[in-house]
Amino acid sequence: MIDKSLRWLDDRLGVSKGGRTFLDKIFPDHWSFMLGEIALYSFVVLLATGVFLSLYYVPSAHEVIYHGSYAPLRGQRVSEAYASTVGLSFDVKSGLLMRQAHHWAADVFLGSIAVHMARVFFTGAFRKPRELNWIVGITMLILGIANGFLGYSLPDDLVSGTGIRIAYSIIESIPLVGSYLAFFVFGGNYPGNGVIIPRFFVLHVLIVPAVIVGLLAAHLGLLVKQKHTQFPGKGKTERNVVGSPMFPTFMAKTTGFMFMVTAALFLLGGFAQINPIWQFGQYQPYQISYAVQPDWYMGWLDGALRVMPSWEWVGWGHTWPLEVFIPAVLFPGIVFNLFIVWPFLEAKFTKDTAYHHLLDRPRDRPKRTSAGAAVLMLLFMLFCASSTDVLANYFHISLNTVLVTFRFLVVLMPIATFFVTHAICIEMQRAEGVGRRKRAVVVTRSATGEFATYDADVRPGDGHEELEAIPVPTYIDLTPRHLATGPGVRRVMR
Amino acid sequence: MRRLFRGRYVVPSVLAGAVGLVGLLMFAPGAARAAGTGASTGAAGMRSYATAGTPASGATPTPCTLATATPTTSGSPISYTSLPASCIPPGEQLFAANCSSCHGTDAAGSALAPNLRGVGAGTVDFWVSTGRMPLADSSIQATRKPPRFDRLQTLEIAAYVQSLAPGGVQIPSVDLQQASVSNGGRLFTLNCAACHTITGAGDALYKGAYAPSLHQATVQQIVEAIRSGPGNMPRFGPGNITNQEAADIAAYVHGVIQHPSDPGGFGLGGVGPVAEGFVGLLFGVGLLMLVSFWIGERS
Repeated sequence: MIDKSLRWLDDRLGVSKGGRTFLDKIFPDHWSFMLGEIALYSFVVLLATGVFLSLYYVPSAHEVIYHGSYAPLRGQRVSEAYASTVGLSFDVKSGLLMRQAHHWAADVFLGSIAVHMARVFFTGAFRKPRELNWIVGITMLILGIANGFLGYSLPDDLVSGTGIRIAYSIIESIPLVGSYLAFFVFGGNYPGNGVIIPRFFVLHVLIVPAVIVGLLAAHLGLLVKQKHTQFPGKGKTERNVVGSPMFPTFMAKTTGFMFMVTAALFLLGGFAQINPIWQFGQYQPYQISYAVQPDWYMGWLDGALRVMPSWEWVGWGHTWPLEVFIPAVLFPGIVFNLFIVWPFLEAKFTKDTAYHHLLDRPRDRPKRTSAGAAVLMLLFMLFCASSTDVLANYFHISLNTVLVTFRFLVVLMPIATFFVTHAICIEMQRAEGVGRRKRAVVVTRSATGEFATYDADVRPGDGHEELEAIPVPTYIDLTPRHLATGPGVRRVMR
Repeated sequence: MRRLFRGRYVVPSVLAGAVGLVGLLMFAPGAARAAGTGASTGAAGMRSYATAGTPASGATPTPCTLATATPTTSGSPISYTSLPASCIPPGEQLFAANCSSCHGTDAAGSALAPNLRGVGAGTVDFWVSTGRMPLADSSIQATRKPPRFDRLQTLEIAAYVQSLAPGGVQIPSVDLQQASVSNGGRLFTLNCAACHTITGAGDALYKGAYAPSLHQATVQQIVEAIRSGPGNMPRFGPGNITNQEAADIAAYVHGVIQHPSDPGGFGLGGVGPVAEGFVGLLFGVGLLMLVSFWIGERS
């Protein structure tokens, strides 16, 4: 029956040919190639929980009297956005779990993108022919950060409202067009006429996710088209791909991984409180709380704003708010553009125009590795600087001391990181036997009770043997037993 | 699963767990509360603003006990304690022994400490009952610590200082039954959250000063602080915040901030998204990286 209907479909669509190729697609098995999958499955969780939330959320700044089940808020005038978010947290079955899982999924989504991007960067997977996919990835990262900020702002609570206020100032700080742009986005002077919540809502649930889905399809399509990179190793060359086929091995593995990602996110959603907006209350432009930071992926921008000295320049009849423009517009602009042009810069400086399917070990490219580490350190320092007040309060140090310290750290730590990483890479290159598994030491005891030790024989796959290109057939074939790097592993030509 | 517990996973998992635990402890509510060299110049701003019920300087000698110090509730959410005159002599002795070296034998102040005449019994009660006086050390701000004096001794000192000059802040007694938590929340957000944070966790201010956590403050101390403005805190008179509103705020701090109905799992200290990002990266991304390490190839 199934066979018959499939044949009917195949006669008309010819799916079996493409399907066969797809099911035989080879995916290398290294664990670090699964980091992007964390982001993929977090995104799936984001979509699913987001649909649930959008059924109950009301994107309106219209004021209503709160009558829900959270007693301390009863009788207060709050916006519909805030009231409905508190309502879906307390009065909708499993609503709070869904909201918290959604928020954790956003944090993990961007975290795994960062880790995945670091893997791609440090192993040189962005090199020709994969520059385009690198750029698609960066674009998704930027969109993800933006959408995280938009979603964080939707509950219209006191903490996120402060963030919107900062965003308004940042837009305003752009020379020449800033105030016009801010008026355009907010529909007038801050806080606008309540249009910002519905606008953010449409962007957050419709436009940005749609773009991300499109880019995601391109990202995965390019991956399938260009095939995955692999680490150098036995039988792995620039001309082949060694790994598990899509069906059944990879499919089983990745489906299991999807469930584990979902489980981890819902565990966090159930056990760790995130963004308890009922404690914060409704946002009013004239009210503010202290200890306000953005979510972690925006933290480095907030930190940059905090450590920036208050440089302001008045000229040509205008005030030029450099203390906002430089850290909040110029700096992230430079960072993201640097990410985007890095593959081309590197190709230009190394004069390397070859195709690369085999990955680098980070230590073998000390300059790239230390540059990446320095940028990571810079962003981490800025992230820490976004909690100056919390650190000062916790360690009982003066807030001013903490701030000045961070001004130095933000500059000095990346420089130090560069040189330390570089030195470590060079040391590791020089060390003997690096990258090879240590040979086991065998201890024997003789009949007379004497102990003796010697190194065990080299085992296959230990990295001690020379690499050689192995000719493989152009169609899929089970790897000969003596060449297999693991059970069920296959290789295909690129 | 068994493979997870083999030797080479033990070290990374234990490390990750340890880092996670330390992180959780760091951001756990109350961790920041415990310690502290703090400090204080606060009393400089204390002046009397009103004479809401001067204590009776005894006609009949009522014994100075906690019972006689209990106020009579009068239908208003805040009523004031009248301390009997018999409290004054022991208060004078306590003051001479513990306070006079800085504040002077007649409480008129010195180069080290402010004049206490006219600050009122409530102001004294706040500083002494929160343990801020006597000072631990003279740094930028007085730190909350276990009080040196018991309740009766505190009231005696307060009575003595009150007897020196009329006026000042009186010791309030708050009837939370008549207070509105909801209105208190609105007023708290408007007047208090900018420094104490919306969750009452407290935060750093300029040059080493800080807004303390409100999680230990008693209802009485909250109203005394509102009225007397200790340290860097502004003083809110009845023109700013009525007695009813002060009681509302106290009810909110007591009922919501100190005893939140707090679903959603472990609160992460009420210090904002930095702690959340920490947990998300460590437990979320970290855990999933371990999982991918578990199911992926490692050569």
